[in-house]
Amino acid sequence: MSGVNELRIVGFLCNWCSYGGADAAGVGRLAQPTDLRIIRMPCSGRINPLFVARTLLSGADGVLVSGCHPRDCHYAEGNFYARRRLEVFKRLLPTLGIDPGRFEYTWVSASEGQRWQTVVTTFTEQIHRLGPMPRFSPGEACVAVLAESGG
Amino acid sequence: MNVLSQLKEQIAATLPNLDLVIGWERGFDPLHHTPLFMRRPEDVERLVIDALCVHNLAVYLPGLKNKKVGVAVKGCDSRAVNQLAREGLIKRENVVVFGFPCDGAADLTKVRRQLGDISGVQSAALEGDLLRVVVDGKERETPLKDVLADKCLRCRYPNALTHDHFAGEPREARVQTDDYKDVVDFEALPLEARFAHWQQEMQRCIRCYACRNACPMCVCRDHCVAQSRDPHWVTQEDETREKWMFQIIHAMHLAGRCVECGECQRACPVDIPILALKRKLNKEIRELFDFEAGVDPQAVPPLLSFQVEEKNINERGW
Amino acid sequence: MKIGVFICHCGSNIAGTVDTAQVARTALEFPDVAFATDTMYACSEPGQEAIVQAIKDHGLDGVVVSSCTPLMHEPTFRRTVERAGLNRFMFEMANIREHVSWIGKDTEANTRKAAELTRMAVEKLRRNMPLFAKQFEVNKRVLVVGGGVAGIQAALDCADGGREVVLVERESTIGGKMAKLDKTFPTVDCSSCVLGPKMVDVAQHPKITVHALSEIEDVKGFVGNFEIAIRRKAAYVDWAKCTGCGLCMEKCPSRKSLDRFNEGVGTTTAINIPFPQAIPKKAVIDPAFCLKLTKDKCGVCAKICPTQAIDFKQQEALFTEQVGAVIAATGYDLFDISKYGEYGAGKLPDVITGLQYERLLSASGPTGGHVQRPSDGREPKTVVFVQCVGSRDKSVDRPYCSGFCCMYTAKQVILTRDHIPDSTSYVFYMDIRAPGKMYDEFTRRAMEEYGARYVRGRVAMIYPKGDKYVVRGADTLMGTQVEVEADLVVLAAGAEASQGAGKLAEKLRISYDKYGFFLESHPKLRPVETNTAGVYLAGSCQGPKDIPASVAQGSAAAAKVLALFSKDKLENDPMIAAVDIRRCVGCGKCIQVCPFKAIKEVDFRGEPKAEVIETVCQGCGLCTATCPQGAIQLAHFTDNQILAEVNALCLA
Repeated sequence: MSGVNELRIVGFLCNWCSYGGADAAGVGRLAQPTDLRIIRMPCSGRINPLFVARTLLSGADGVLVSGCHPRDCHYAEGNFYARRRLEVFKRLLPTLGIDPGRFEYTWVSASEGQRWQTVVTTFTEQIHRLGPMPRFSPGEACVAVLAESGG
Repeated sequence: MNVLSQLKEQIAATLPNLDLVIGWERGFDPLHHTPLFMRRPEDVERLVIDALCVHNLAVYLPGLKNKKVGVAVKGCDSRAVNQLAREGLIKRENVVVFGFPCDGAADLTKVRRQLGDISGVQSAALEGDLLRVVVDGKERETPLKDVLADKCLRCRYPNALTHDHFAGEPREARVQTDDYKDVVDFEALPLEARFAHWQQEMQRCIRCYACRNACPMCVCRDHCVAQSRDPHWVTQEDETREKWMFQIIHAMHLAGRCVECGECQRACPVDIPILALKRKLNKEIRELFDFEAGVDPQAVPPLLSFQVEEKNINERGW
Repeated sequence: MKIGVFICHCGSNIAGTVDTAQVARTALEFPDVAFATDTMYACSEPGQEAIVQAIKDHGLDGVVVSSCTPLMHEPTFRRTVERAGLNRFMFEMANIREHVSWIGKDTEANTRKAAELTRMAVEKLRRNMPLFAKQFEVNKRVLVVGGGVAGIQAALDCADGGREVVLVERESTIGGKMAKLDKTFPTVDCSSCVLGPKMVDVAQHPKITVHALSEIEDVKGFVGNFEIAIRRKAAYVDWAKCTGCGLCMEKCPSRKSLDRFNEGVGTTTAINIPFPQAIPKKAVIDPAFCLKLTKDKCGVCAKICPTQAIDFKQQEALFTEQVGAVIAATGYDLFDISKYGEYGAGKLPDVITGLQYERLLSASGPTGGHVQRPSDGREPKTVVFVQCVGSRDKSVDRPYCSGFCCMYTAKQVILTRDHIPDSTSYVFYMDIRAPGKMYDEFTRRAMEEYGARYVRGRVAMIYPKGDKYVVRGADTLMGTQVEVEADLVVLAAGAEASQGAGKLAEKLRISYDKYGFFLESHPKLRPVETNTAGVYLAGSCQGPKDIPASVAQGSAAAAKVLALFSKDKLENDPMIAAVDIRRCVGCGKCIQVCPFKAIKEVDFRGEPKAEVIETVCQGCGLCTATCPQGAIQLAHFTDNQILAEVNALCLA
């Protein structure tokens, strides 16, 4: 079966820029790896970093966020807030034991189809280098643990 | 006059103008102090302050927002008062803060580690630098410094940063800067080891949410997504993943807000070292935005603001 | 819930690399999916009819179409489901063309991906709610900010369309930069002869109110219902009484005042009417130069004013206007040429800007139209024009082309020869940019008929030598150094955003670029709209523009306003945030971050709560990402809807 080596990559894209940039890449028939699944967002400012956390924990191997270039936000300021919040979250990853390379955020405008192709290709390669995200094995019953801790 | 008597006097003098004053009193055993809610003058007599006053009493303030409340605070607790006021979760003018020099608070997990099972403790006394307890008729002792909470060993703010009354003389801080060595050391471990660490720790979580309940900065209260599951950020599945997700949610809700009182970790009945997540975020937020929650009551919370050109965020090229 | 799924072939665009029938079969297994099929062209007439029919036949509550990008056909299909009686938000689209079939040829991988994206859309749709737009009244008055030619055109067009116009101008007269020009390219017709009648029309139009010497203080409200606070500066003259007779100017002893209208070429009186055709034609006292206001002496104007209009105690005034739309037409400022130290600009008296030169050329200018050097009044015989001063130069952070300098320099070259037949003009240029109608012919005329010497290259430095100026530069076509001894040097100062443009943009909540120019909603398709509904752009505030383009934009913005005002009620976009009052703890974090001031604090039984102003909210969702307990949710993009999408992709 083809494509079985796919990893699970989820993208959160701003409707006004990167989503259109991904469309532009499609219109230009710019070939890309098939791993990525795109969720359309109204603005990068809408992206709670916890969506990224939830996505990684729920089964994704990589998460890509893309919004409008700073100063080009459709809503003037959304991406400025997003930049701070996403950067803080990215920096938390090493302490979580998650490779920070599993999450990237970037800016792609609606006209940057080629740039989008580069971003997707590069990020997908990066995730394939990192391989599947490690998962927690099913937990033991916590009651037993509680008993043992004596606390 | 010692600090306690002075504090009692200050509280007694202010109490008539207030609905209540929150302090600490001896609890169910000599090692466990509990919060004391002083409403009548005679309540003040029960007040204690020593290394066993572990609770951050600022946690009660948002729930008493419209009352006139006095509260006794350690240095770390006072940061929560500042931060709560900054976020409009309390009205600072409704709160009378009683400060005193804090010599550090004990970590009962460490006490257990030093002195063994202390469930049958009959008496506890702090004598100079020693903690002396009698358990099942046997006397045991440990140097206090060996049982102080980690946060106290790196304490930079032993005196309340905001206060309306201060008992005693301010003491000097143990350290001047926080180098976040614990965070650095942990991140020096291999990635797999860090991941395994959390698997190990988080699977012990019993989802009691004591960490959240003890956190003075947790504002969702009755609407915590952990229990409302609406929005559906976490599920009720008994999976380590979901427990961990909750800790990440709590940490991110505290990003740029956590005052590092350490109550989450202290309150954890199974000793999961969850303060590490908040420490890490605080380290990054200090580096990125030169911000420390609850220290400067005027400072704008970094995640509720932005700079058009961020000095310290180097965006990655592609 | 019963969901219908339609997998579009888009001819072979999708079906070529996606097994659409297989996707449809897979979709039948998704929860709540009652009907699934593949279809040749979902957007075509029969395709849409099939959707309508399926909704009726199967009693569907919602529809998923997996086809092209929703940016293309989401509005189409929303109308389709509406035709079948569903709410238009009970529809989701999966993008399996741009995001799948067009970017990879692996049919198996594409088919799987298309199915997953369809599943994601189904899971989202399962959590969709019918949403309804709210209607609200429109105040059919328009505010025009800036009385240059773009603003004048916009104001006249709106007023001629029957709408009341409030025109706010920072200076004491409208007219803007165009009023300062002598002639205009490429026709070399008199600028004030063209503009003057339009200014008179503004003054006389019963539907236009002009607030000169005024600035926007604050903007509240939203499309259809703006409340504009306006600050009028003190003129120290009661304009209700001033007849513009000019007697005060004749008698004013303070004759060294800065002549702003003449760009500082020459001086004027402290009490002043900028130029004879000023609208409104009212006197203004410059408090920095008035002897009465600075030293409490004189007061002669008050004594001689026939209508007792002088009021030295006048204060600035704050008042409000209610409007339904705003046109920003704040124009541009000139680049500060003194930033080019090597040109001696600002220090050497005979190194001037193109606009100062316009005043020297103008018959109504300080020299009565005789070209004279500012230093000694001598007629220059050699004039050097330097192009791109503050344009196309990264070293002064002005990488953009100001667009009109090539043309006005050519015009000035021609006018110089007309004024001084025995003069010689040199033009140092980088490229000649003359793309307008008759523009290239015009610059050719300057070179060929008027004998101007065009030197391709940048000027390195300008320094005085005797009573002349040595202009040293490169001739990149000849590959040599060039030195010209000039009597007068005219720098084609570039255009930059008007001073205070950024602040105004923030009050209007519109975006601006790093140079302060306002951002249009779409660079090609929405050139006069902004991303704030009801706020439009005209003229150089959006980027440097010449007169025809500014006038065209003024009319375009007016057309947008008239179209907006053609409706008696407006509808809001229902994809906006809403507060769950039980969850809200009143911490105000959402209020703090909202870029549109669309959230206010309200009192609910003694507790502070957030409340969304439905007509102001633009639906960005920043508040939703900010609220820790999820008390404020953006409709159609709620946390639960996005989490459902995540789970559809990850947990399935």
